[in-house]
Amino acid sequence: MIQRVLALVKMELLKLIREPANLFLNLLFPAILTLVFGLAFGGLGGGDSSLFNTMAPGLFAYACIFLIMTVSMSFTDDRENGLLKRINVTPTTSTQFIGSHIITNLFIAVLQLAIVFLLSLLMGFRPSVDVFGVIMAFIFMLFLSLCSVGLGLITATIAKSAGAATGISFIFILPQMFFGTFVPLTEATRVIAAFLPSYYVTEAITTIFNGVSPFAVEILMQLGIIALMSIGIVILGIFLFKKYGKV
Amino acid sequence: MKNKIINKIGVNYKMAMKDMNDKEKMQKLIDKLTQDLSSKDKEIVGYLNKIDALEEDILRLQKLIPGEASKIKSKREKPEDIFDPDSTSAIIIKDLVKQFDDVTAVNGINLEIKKGELFGLLGPNGAGKTTTINMLVGLLNPTEGTAIVGGYDVKRDLSKIKEMIGVCPQKASVYKFLKGRENVELFGNLFEMDKKVLKERADRFFEASGLKEASNRKAKGYSGGMIRQLNLIIALINDPEIVFLDEPTVGMDPRARRKTWTFIGDLKQQDKTVILTTHYIEEAEALCDRVGIIDYGELIALGSPKELMKKHDAKNLEEVFMKITGRRILEGV
Repeated sequence: MIQRVLALVKMELLKLIREPANLFLNLLFPAILTLVFGLAFGGLGGGDSSLFNTMAPGLFAYACIFLIMTVSMSFTDDRENGLLKRINVTPTTSTQFIGSHIITNLFIAVLQLAIVFLLSLLMGFRPSVDVFGVIMAFIFMLFLSLCSVGLGLITATIAKSAGAATGISFIFILPQMFFGTFVPLTEATRVIAAFLPSYYVTEAITTIFNGVSPFAVEILMQLGIIALMSIGIVILGIFLFKKYGKV
Repeated sequence: MKNKIINKIGVNYKMAMKDMNDKEKMQKLIDKLTQDLSSKDKEIVGYLNKIDALEEDILRLQKLIPGEASKIKSKREKPEDIFDPDSTSAIIIKDLVKQFDDVTAVNGINLEIKKGELFGLLGPNGAGKTTTINMLVGLLNPTEGTAIVGGYDVKRDLSKIKEMIGVCPQKASVYKFLKGRENVELFGNLFEMDKKVLKERADRFFEASGLKEASNRKAKGYSGGMIRQLNLIIALINDPEIVFLDEPTVGMDPRARRKTWTFIGDLKQQDKTVILTTHYIEEAEALCDRVGIIDYGELIALGSPKELMKKHDAKNLEEVFMKITGRRILEGV
């Protein structure tokens, strides 16, 4: 079983490196975004560094949200090229196949967070956080990436081609970008945000980076909510993709 | 009807036993009984003819009513009566039906393929060849009927089947961003092959197919023929007992096709069971022990190429194919 999962993870990581679209969306885009926001709002660009401090946790989530697009593109692309069928006639189970995607994307999420975190520090981001806080922030991001894998599977179920997946993925990306990251919320948008995974992650990371203990009750409650959300979304994604994904 | 006759025979037999000593009476009884049986026999034959005619009517109607084709089948011919499954059978297909909404892609196919046999599945476009193979390898669930592949039922033991088969899909499916060798290694690992064995087999296949040089290049740069060869290598890397080759030589130049024929011939030498679908009839004629011709989802001819040519008084298999499938087109079946 491990041999199969490792082989698939290796293949997905090679795809990340060798496919320019994947490389850009997963690693270069978050880096460029952080640099642009850092220059516009950070102390290094002559702006108000306190504003960038407020925005940085949202940037972490931003990178992770785009996994929805890459995951859905990857699944639809493989389906279009007959590769899902080909894997389906080997002894590989769907759990092993989707499990390998989850592992790969968790790894990518860790990379994204490391890149965004380091570049943010470079651009003047100064969080008041200890090592436990950083670890907790990583855990939140991992759950958010799990949500993105699930939403990517749902997108791949609906989309007929990789091109369509790109467009459809914005149904899940845009609300999270505007109501679940650093854009200030109104009474109305806060109601929408309550259904968005990125909202809980950004809220929790912002609180942690403001010096609140990562083991505070409110943080643990948000961790519980995002954990339940991610598990629910992934299960729903797997169910829908297996049933209607035309593998 | 049958019980009535048996009862009558019983009554007459008892009467005969009483009159055993009266030879004349006995002879009369025998004559009467023979007459009775003869008339009943004619009656039964009459009924059977009527049933046959009705069945033919039903079959004709089935073609006209979408979605109904698979629902009515002959009650007199059960698969158990046809097959004698033993250890020499690699694949047994029993009353296999696949329905897509109102289209019957496969309509009650019964077939047995022996171990070590190279079997060709022929038919025009959309005849049901790929759908049949997809059901045998677990990509589609049969609507009705089932199939036994390598001793395992496709409806129950798919995981066991997947461990012993190799599938070369019609659409060449390889990861373009991976090198040729990486593609082969990926699929070898999905079969949990030993690393050393995997490398040895990959080397042998790349050498034999002439892809040795290209094996360390990304598949993105391969020609169509090279991709198809890589497609075939991936299907064979796990040393499968049963190999499904769905149009393996489409898009290959004549030289690459001949090379692939040698590949397929070698599989026969290794006692592998091969199921080959192809549009190149001469390919089937040159390679296959037996061929089955499918049309409109039904198996309409089965036998060795020589048998079929003799039966249909044809010079080659292509002529047989045209005679059978062409006639069905003209008859509007």
